[in-house]
Amino acid sequence: MLLFHAGYLRGGFLGVDLFFVLSGFLITGLLLSETGRAGRIDLAAFWARRARRLLPALVVMGVATLLLAWAFGSPSLLAFALDDAPWAAAQAVNWHFIAEQVGYWNASDTRLFSHLWSIAVEWQFYLAWPLVVLAAGRGRRGEHRVAGLAVVGAVASLALMIMFDNAVDTTRVYEGTDTRAFSLLLGAAAATRPVRARLARVPRQAGHVLCAVLACGLVASWALTDGQHAPGLFEGGMFLHSLAAAVLIAALAAAPDGHAGRVLGSVVPRGLGELSYGLYLWHWPVYLLLPPDVLGFGGLPRTAVLIAVSLAAAALSKRLVEDPVRFRARWATGRRGLAVLAATAVVAAGVWVAIPQPRLGAGTVDVHRLMEP
Amino acid sequence: MTAAVPLCDERMTAGPGGDFRWCAGAMQNETKPRRTLIRPRQRRPAAAVAALTMAAGAVLAGCGGSAGTGVRSEPAPSASAHAKDKKVLWLGDSIAGVEALPLGAALKASGVGFRNDSSDGGGTIVEGDKMSLPIARSTWKRLRKDLASYRPDVLAYQITTYDWGTPQQQRASYEKLAKAAGNAGADLVIVSAPPFKVDDFYKKHAADIESAPKAAAKVADADGAKVAFADASALWGTDAGAAKAQRSADGIHSCQQGSAAFAKWFTERLGKRYGFAPAPPDEWATGPWVSNQRYAKLGCK
Repeated sequence: MLLFHAGYLRGGFLGVDLFFVLSGFLITGLLLSETGRAGRIDLAAFWARRARRLLPALVVMGVATLLLAWAFGSPSLLAFALDDAPWAAAQAVNWHFIAEQVGYWNASDTRLFSHLWSIAVEWQFYLAWPLVVLAAGRGRRGEHRVAGLAVVGAVASLALMIMFDNAVDTTRVYEGTDTRAFSLLLGAAAATRPVRARLARVPRQAGHVLCAVLACGLVASWALTDGQHAPGLFEGGMFLHSLAAAVLIAALAAAPDGHAGRVLGSVVPRGLGELSYGLYLWHWPVYLLLPPDVLGFGGLPRTAVLIAVSLAAAALSKRLVEDPVRFRARWATGRRGLAVLAATAVVAAGVWVAIPQPRLGAGTVDVHRLMEP
Repeated sequence: MTAAVPLCDERMTAGPGGDFRWCAGAMQNETKPRRTLIRPRQRRPAAAVAALTMAAGAVLAGCGGSAGTGVRSEPAPSASAHAKDKKVLWLGDSIAGVEALPLGAALKASGVGFRNDSSDGGGTIVEGDKMSLPIARSTWKRLRKDLASYRPDVLAYQITTYDWGTPQQQRASYEKLAKAAGNAGADLVIVSAPPFKVDDFYKKHAADIESAPKAAAKVADADGAKVAFADASALWGTDAGAAKAQRSADGIHSCQQGSAAFAKWFTERLGKRYGFAPAPPDEWATGPWVSNQRYAKLGCK
């Protein structure tokens, strides 16, 4: 994603797809595990864990970005950030962007929070999917039912993507929760016992070859896909990418000791994985707030600076915000956690209210020029 | 990208800047207007209709005349008093959408009613290839409703970047538009699209983009005084990359200054044709419309 947004990897946007698949796999695995262990899902505890994991870094990034845009950004960057912030806070910014047709206007680079559409999709999945697993996942064949629902849902989602595909404006298919659900659902299906059992029957060596082929295929698709207007992307291409990612993840989980597993489990990918959330949150505001005319240079040197700044911000976010809240802050749990969440929301809303709306378009029309013959 | 070509030079009348081409009324008598421009309706005073008829007829007479036939470039003095009787329905794609903001301001400041019916990512009325056809169906559905509810005197259609189809399909669609306007009691004015960057998305439709204004001009030629074609290359030039085209960073739309320039140009032409005095730019060109977020989306200030 970092390279794609810097203009170097035309298919890098598929990284979000991989992220969705991985998320569907992990979340469903946790939900099924809890169902199997306790016979039920503590929904409040699940949502609280998700909130503790995702909201602190999001709120810090959001408030800091608003303040930075106020201090250093152009009036239009600030205006859109102020417009989009409530939608981002409500985890519904993807639908806001669909209504705004940001894809049609090619306006992502005017919006500091345009990358948060995928976080919104995630949250909407987190709200709905546990209810499905809770209803269908119990009992002897619970995981079969969950797998079946996930596969049927994924196919329905693909059908919606094909139905809403519109070459003029791809925002609806690209950012719609329904049209992107297949990635999460294929990941979910990959976490169920029927799928895992089938992969466990694959001979070990064949499994390793399968992982290597799929990993290489995914990397090749990122390199070869020519942007979001690539032929067939929304007519099954992205679905195939998700399917390959889901099979790879499940196969790696079944046999993690092959070449692909060792490479993906090595120090650098693991380290990047641990920073990935903060990196995703911070990279886009960093990219937009440090354009070439601010830095004084562009091209590869600018990309290197942007990635370095994003990595630093992500590391700080993990060390100072994410990990403390996840592992050490007792005040972040239970009723006190809810109170802290409410207080944080009030502070963030206060910042949002306090920042004055910029005046757009001032001095853009020269009346004398209009009067020239 | 080739913008509209002057297809009716021998019948054109020059505006104050000598840069405007009306192609309507091609075969009309040089001294007598063949029709009233504003279709009389029950609710309109007969005197106003008569005044408008005289004023507009005088303009059209110039439009159909050759050199030395007495081109009239100013509206009749009495006509602007009746500008409030007139209404313009504006149709087109998102290029028309960014122009609609100052155009609406300019026309309203001139006492002319205005409704923006442009559509982002749509707006074409050309029932052409498999891409344009569904867009056109949606446009027609909305247009029929708006023609019936708004009852405009002028339906102004800016050729869209999606007017894709064969020249025959384009012409048939423009004729259909003229008929729809006529049935609703309105004139049709088709204005050519500004030059825009023909990127990968548009490249395969370059021939369609080039043929659309020619098809529109032919419809105006054939349909006498009811349909006019305005060649906007006089304002924008034909090179999307040139400063004269006033394109935004995307090479397709215009920012505030360019949109205001179009509003002034088009309002003057409408004023000349329909006999009202356009409001001077200082009355509308720096109004609240300049802060509309559409321009910020385009990277304008």
